[in-house]
Amino acid sequence: MSAQLLFAALVAGSLYALVALGLNLVYGTLRLLNIAHGDLVMIGAYVSFWMLSLFGLPPVLSIFVAAALCGGFGWVIYVGMFRKLLATPALAQRLEANSLILFYGVSVILQNCVALAFTSTARGYQYLNEVHKFAGIAASGNRLMLFGVALALCLGMLLFLRFHLFGWSLRAVIERRDAAAVVGVDVDRVQMVTICIGFAIAGVAGVLVSMTEQITPFMGFPFTIAAFVVIVLGGLGNIFAGIVAGFALGFIETFGVALTSATYRSILIYGLFVGVLLLRPQGLFGKAIKIR
Amino acid sequence: MKTLSIDLVAGIVLLAAALVLPLTGMDYLVGIAFNLAMWVALTQSWSILSAMTGYVSLGHVVFCGIGAYMVALTTGSLPLAASLGFAGLAAGVSALVIGLPVLRVRGPYFVILTFGLAELVKNVIVQIETGLGQFSRLIFDAPPLNSLYLVMLGLAVAVTVAAVFVRHSKLGRGLIAIRENEEAAEAIGVPVIRLKLIAFVAAAIIPGIVGGVMLLRTSYFEAAQAFDPVISFSIVTMAIVGGSGSARGPILGAFAFVLLSELLWARFPQLYMIILGILLILFILFVPRGLSGLLDRKEARQ
Repeated sequence: MSAQLLFAALVAGSLYALVALGLNLVYGTLRLLNIAHGDLVMIGAYVSFWMLSLFGLPPVLSIFVAAALCGGFGWVIYVGMFRKLLATPALAQRLEANSLILFYGVSVILQNCVALAFTSTARGYQYLNEVHKFAGIAASGNRLMLFGVALALCLGMLLFLRFHLFGWSLRAVIERRDAAAVVGVDVDRVQMVTICIGFAIAGVAGVLVSMTEQITPFMGFPFTIAAFVVIVLGGLGNIFAGIVAGFALGFIETFGVALTSATYRSILIYGLFVGVLLLRPQGLFGKAIKIR
Repeated sequence: MKTLSIDLVAGIVLLAAALVLPLTGMDYLVGIAFNLAMWVALTQSWSILSAMTGYVSLGHVVFCGIGAYMVALTTGSLPLAASLGFAGLAAGVSALVIGLPVLRVRGPYFVILTFGLAELVKNVIVQIETGLGQFSRLIFDAPPLNSLYLVMLGLAVAVTVAAVFVRHSKLGRGLIAIRENEEAAEAIGVPVIRLKLIAFVAAAIIPGIVGGVMLLRTSYFEAAQAFDPVISFSIVTMAIVGGSGSARGPILGAFAFVLLSELLWARFPQLYMIILGILLILFILFVPRGLSGLLDRKEARQ
């Protein structure tokens, strides 16, 4: 196994884990399948690009701008759209079934607003692209930063869920929503904060992506798909397994493509996706449960 | 009963107008009517499975794509009618094969699974075509627009009649029972698996043929285009905007969609997509029964 390939797999895996983490948090607590998640990654990427081009703000600081902007967007759509709907059980149930299509609408709006404002031209910038060599690996600075920030955020989130009181209530809402409300968890507040965190994480992932590759208004969809593959692998709403699955996908993709060819990438990803949904819909690590 | 007869009269008037249209010789209008009939056929066939059972499919385009591919492969060596029949057959058989495992999966899992499956098939066919050294296939000697239009119109009418028939049949009641509560339906003896499979296959045959006719209209096959996921999303959007509680919903949805696209698509494509997204969100949140639900309410008040 080549060390260079291993590094590539780790970088890809950390990004997938981070993007999927946001999606999984939102699905777990609000039961909304956010197919616009990848478009938030795109928004984060554009924030980074414009902050650097207009104000010369280094992307590492844009992380905070993108997090605030995407988190704020989450707050706006939660307060404006979902709060009332989720409070009524009958409406909430209908919403879960339709959420994917609803977010498709959000996705289309985001993509086309950005395309309208900034055109569909691919954009990019150079940042930390000097190459470091150690232990037989050549790694550019931006990839190292991507890996470091993504890993830190994933671990930080896990620690937060494990040790912080709010993290406990978040987990309680994911696992037993009704029971959480009974023992005094403010479900509304947990949902609001979680959607902000989930969206903010997507924005941060976008900044990280824009450091390493070109960006377009339509770049988000592949990230949405990868994130869906990851959370399906880990089991919907299972945060820790989702992070593990993100790295697993990074490895499967990197080594799969290295062993065959880049043209098989899509078949590999969708094949994995369909295979897991058909054979183990509760996820690779999940207990056998009857899904609705 | 009163609404049914009103619908019947409206349907006959609409059909008469649609049949007279080619005589005017205005190809532009016939082209629009062709698109309209195509979307009616696709959305109506989608509603037989997805609106009736609540198994929302986001991969309906896969059957169109399979149909188009079959026609692309067989045209020239088979008569066109046989080619189109083959397209419908291939779509139906694929539905039969994938139906059993896929229909076990429910709720949001079913939605993302159908989407993933359609993309998987698309990518496999793209690979096969690349492997064969075919990046696109041109279709020669496609029939003129007027005849294609009449075939598409026939498909739209056939699937609408079938949708009305299914809704009032024992099959339809069984499908609705599945939507409301699958366990309860199974417990009182509704053969849920068989009914779901029948609906899945029935809903697949028409888009197979539609895909074939679409191909003849564009006279150009490219896998990424024939299996474009935007088609699946458009179908769902039309069903939601039109309302899928009755057979007229998909017709209303297709009308709204085609009208909007004629007004905006060519000049302001991004604006068109943004308006589509806004409409989709507004209808899901505030008009869950769609345009046809609004009409029902108006009729009930009178």
